[in-house]
Amino acid sequence: MNARFRRAAIGLAVTLTASLDVGYAQIPDPLPPSIGGCPSEVVAFHACALQKAKTFRPPRTPGGRPNLQGYWRSLLTQPFSVEGVTGDEPLVGDLVMPWAKAPGMIVDPADGKIPYQPWAASVGRRGVNFEQYIDPRTACGPGGVPRLALQDVNQIIQPTGDDHVVWLFEDHRVNRIIAMDGRPAPGPDITLRIGHSRGRWDGNTLVVDVTNLNGLTWFDDSGNFYTDAAHLVERLTLIDPDTIHYEVTVEDPKAYTRPWKLVWALVREKTKGFELLEEACWEGERDLPLIREQGYRYYFGEPWRGR
Amino acid sequence: MRYAFTGSMLLAVLLCAAPPAAGQSAAVPRTPDGKPNFQGIWQALTTAAYDIQDHHARLGVPAGQGIVDGNGIPYQPWALAKKRENFEARTTADPETKGYTPGVPRIMYMAFPFQIFQTPEHITLVFEYAQGNRILYTNGTPHPRGPITWWLGDSRGRWEGDTLVVDVIHFTDQTWFDRAGNFHSDALHLVERYTLVSPDHLQYEVTVEDPKVFTRPWKMSMPLYRRKEANVRLLEYVPSFLMQQEAVERERQKP
Repeated sequence: MNARFRRAAIGLAVTLTASLDVGYAQIPDPLPPSIGGCPSEVVAFHACALQKAKTFRPPRTPGGRPNLQGYWRSLLTQPFSVEGVTGDEPLVGDLVMPWAKAPGMIVDPADGKIPYQPWAASVGRRGVNFEQYIDPRTACGPGGVPRLALQDVNQIIQPTGDDHVVWLFEDHRVNRIIAMDGRPAPGPDITLRIGHSRGRWDGNTLVVDVTNLNGLTWFDDSGNFYTDAAHLVERLTLIDPDTIHYEVTVEDPKAYTRPWKLVWALVREKTKGFELLEEACWEGERDLPLIREQGYRYYFGEPWRGR
Repeated sequence: MRYAFTGSMLLAVLLCAAPPAAGQSAAVPRTPDGKPNFQGIWQALTTAAYDIQDHHARLGVPAGQGIVDGNGIPYQPWALAKKRENFEARTTADPETKGYTPGVPRIMYMAFPFQIFQTPEHITLVFEYAQGNRILYTNGTPHPRGPITWWLGDSRGRWEGDTLVVDVIHFTDQTWFDRAGNFHSDALHLVERYTLVSPDHLQYEVTVEDPKVFTRPWKMSMPLYRRKEANVRLLEYVPSFLMQQEAVERERQKP
């Protein structure tokens, strides 16, 4: 079948049945032996990519900035848990939405676990969030930062003038506008689900400061989370023409004992004629009433609100 | 007398009526490849989101002069009846009340800003309302083969001098033009024309064609105004999220 037509058909299906979100099991594809010339294991990839970034000379925009434009898909990721799936979780082997045993994406701390404060450990990590609340993404919300960058194909655009970077995500049709013009962050009373993003270039690395977060998105299917006190710093660096080393440092004095760091690869989608499709989630959503009948609640940060 | 209206007189009339053409326009910002630079945050200031036609005030609805060329919309008879039915049922039947993506051109004149980003390959419109985005491809690619039903359609553009002309097809029949029940089918075909008539005014014109609903093509136009506030930026207005929030609030307030 013509690839374009097949993609369009998928787009149509998504429009009509957002229930895909609930029943859709995302089993990770087998990893290639190496990614951008680095090992296909997150800690080794991270160390190798940082070395490669020192010598790789990226293509440039007409304005002279590193050119990250194109379509990207994540590797070294899975949607189940940023801490990884050991194989003991009840959803491994589930008939409807089976999880798969898979490594996590945390490179710091070395134990690969989110350094939660005790109360927060019982909320994330398949705790209160997972047991009692609807994943905000299942309610057609945006995956949030950084989940958006692992969930599905995305597009980076560097418009003429280099005073913004636009990051578009096919997953639930979300956009991030990254201001590169040195402007201040909005006042603290303005909070957004995808936060406010301000970027700058550190050598060949795009560094993005994400502030003004409302804490109403999760990292993964396990309910791992941050609060409205979170501050994220993302670093995107090309390590070869088709591979971005993506790193995000997460800081949240309300929920964690220290900052921690996630890493994965963004690999260029090179299919000829590839374009993002429109994914309308809310317009086709029919499952939420049933999910709520089972007692799950919309997530407005109750487990941490007021702390 | 009618026949004395010669070609040259017609030309003179057109020249007086038309917005400044290429070469005559006030200096507009340009990209390095010489195209008008549309980048920035824009917003419509009409009442078209309530009703694209002339209308008097109702409670909560400001009176307004419409944006439809000649004010009349050439509905087929059945469609005019349907429009009236939509109007009567508008408080529940309008797709906006369900929090759906408002479609094109409605998203262009909602009371929310949107931002334009430009590269030689495409012009991206990012909307504060409902996280909408439209990519107007200017790289010479054709529409994908249908049938496809998208809430914001598929947009392919080209430059005609300093005017960006965008052909938009592949629509759902689930969106309206306004809160007054004006509607279309999935056969909707739009031709949009974007012209920067001054550094801070982007003239927007759209020709609407839909052989299932209208007897002939018709046209709307309005200026888009540049938002000039220092550090102005797009924020978030996502109806689905706000509706969920309200549902939770209502439940909390139940005795």
